[in-house]
Amino acid sequence: MISLITVGVATLVGLVAAPFASHADQAMAYLLAILVAALGGRGAGLTAAVLSAAAFDFFFVEPYHTFAVANRSFLITFGVMVAIGIAIGSLVNRIRVAEAESRERELRAKAEELRSTLLSSVSHDLRTPLAVITGMATSLRDSAQGEQREELDTIVGEARRLSNILTNLLSITKVESGAEPRREWVPLDELIGSSLARLEPELAEHPLTLEVADELAHVDPILTEQLLVNLVENAAKHTPPGCAIEVQARRDGSAALIEISDHGPGLPPGPPEQVFEKFFRGRGVKAGGVGLGLTVCKAIATAHKGRIEASMRDGGGAVFRVWFPDDGAPPRLGDAPELLARAS
Amino acid sequence: MTAAADTVLVVEDEAPMRRFLSAALQSHGFRVVEASTLGTAQRIATEQHPDAILLDLGLPDGDGLTLVRDLRTWSSAPVIVLSARDREDDKVTALDAGADDYLTKPFGTSELLARIRVALRHSRAQRVPDDPVLAVGAIRIDQARHEVNVGERAIHLTPIEYRLLVLLARHPGKVLTHKQLLQDVWGPRTHQTHYLRVHMAALRRKIENDPARPRWITTEPGVGYRLIDR
Repeated sequence: MISLITVGVATLVGLVAAPFASHADQAMAYLLAILVAALGGRGAGLTAAVLSAAAFDFFFVEPYHTFAVANRSFLITFGVMVAIGIAIGSLVNRIRVAEAESRERELRAKAEELRSTLLSSVSHDLRTPLAVITGMATSLRDSAQGEQREELDTIVGEARRLSNILTNLLSITKVESGAEPRREWVPLDELIGSSLARLEPELAEHPLTLEVADELAHVDPILTEQLLVNLVENAAKHTPPGCAIEVQARRDGSAALIEISDHGPGLPPGPPEQVFEKFFRGRGVKAGGVGLGLTVCKAIATAHKGRIEASMRDGGGAVFRVWFPDDGAPPRLGDAPELLARAS
Repeated sequence: MTAAADTVLVVEDEAPMRRFLSAALQSHGFRVVEASTLGTAQRIATEQHPDAILLDLGLPDGDGLTLVRDLRTWSSAPVIVLSARDREDDKVTALDAGADDYLTKPFGTSELLARIRVALRHSRAQRVPDDPVLAVGAIRIDQARHEVNVGERAIHLTPIEYRLLVLLARHPGKVLTHKQLLQDVWGPRTHQTHYLRVHMAALRRKIENDPARPRWITTEPGVGYRLIDR
């Protein structure tokens, strides 16, 4: 539409000025028309260019009122018109895309900021009372005896459980709102070790077998720790005391593979993927929890562009496998920077 | 341990939390002074020179970090930051600004007391000259001979592993951040944590029986490492 109007105006100007204007002046009028139209984007620019060339040819190039061209040099003028239409139009398109992207980035940054403010205030408001309960209950426990001591132990344990649920809720909110994992190259030993350290009470009654390769994973260490804590805790929760839990970690192609298996009753009947559904709870209320732990695992694996799967183990029990694909080439450790190694 | 005379400044805006901390510390022989705002904390710190400070970072009238930075210009009294699990960045900033350690909420009385004792021991140990032999738990480092033993076992370390272990052993029980360890071993221009992680993993494989369940060097996720001194 804009192309039609601008080219129309240019044609009118050309016709009115015909008695005293040269071909060059008329071509200029069309160029201006193309320029204005191209501000509407590449489509409009190209249309205006083609229309301009046609109108210029029809009205001002001999033989008049036909599309034939007697003097071939006018073909160059037409070519320039089309080239300018495309060039300006493309430029405008590119600027528009960049503008839209930066607006979107700004919106995302604002949403991210809002989310993190909200999360940290929720986290603070819920954690402070929990910290007071835990603190005071441990103080009382230290001076209590017998049954009372056991009751206070229960308070401390439940406060701890609530705190873990809160951590899971906050992690899933963070991951599902699209926060990118902060990947680093982390030794598998370190990932497994820091997760197990958080599970001392849960693992008191479960012998552990570890098989951890001396290799690296490219992961967000904090999110991955949460994932492993949930998987091992899940195994401990769903197996009877004394039942062994096995943790294996190794490289599998360009991914790190962590496998957690147990000798318990295995997965509940139905498709294995259902265990990762929000609020899914396997074998009754007894096991405790709100059914969020495995959902968090799946969300964290997905955020790493990785994969998690649950399956039955030959001979009984459940196996959970998580793959964390590398995002980039593994570091070469030979190229360490200047080593000061100041021997003391 | 002459804890009886030690004064701890508790900086916390939540009254119930303050009450718990004060009660727990007092019942274990500490003298406690309380502050609920940054302003009061700064005043008390300058007037009373507490032996240790427990600091919640989120205060109504400002960031607790300001107190850490101010304090470090004139005092070496240990500062222990109180923080939540998902605030790793805050912990690291506070530690790199000069805080000595942190406690992750929720924590129990025994953790609280253990941290305070470690911090107080460190602030005193700085006054005695360096002993050529460092002993932490079963780990013994002879700095004159560059020899390391874990129990009866002699351990052969690379220069980097040795340097890392000495750094940790000089601060037994205390967390050292990735940045602190990197700077001390590789110099101020290194920011690539994976160098540190890989050498630390190698060190663990030499001194731990089970490197994925470390007895001595524990990982503080997102923060750094700690050498256990019990």
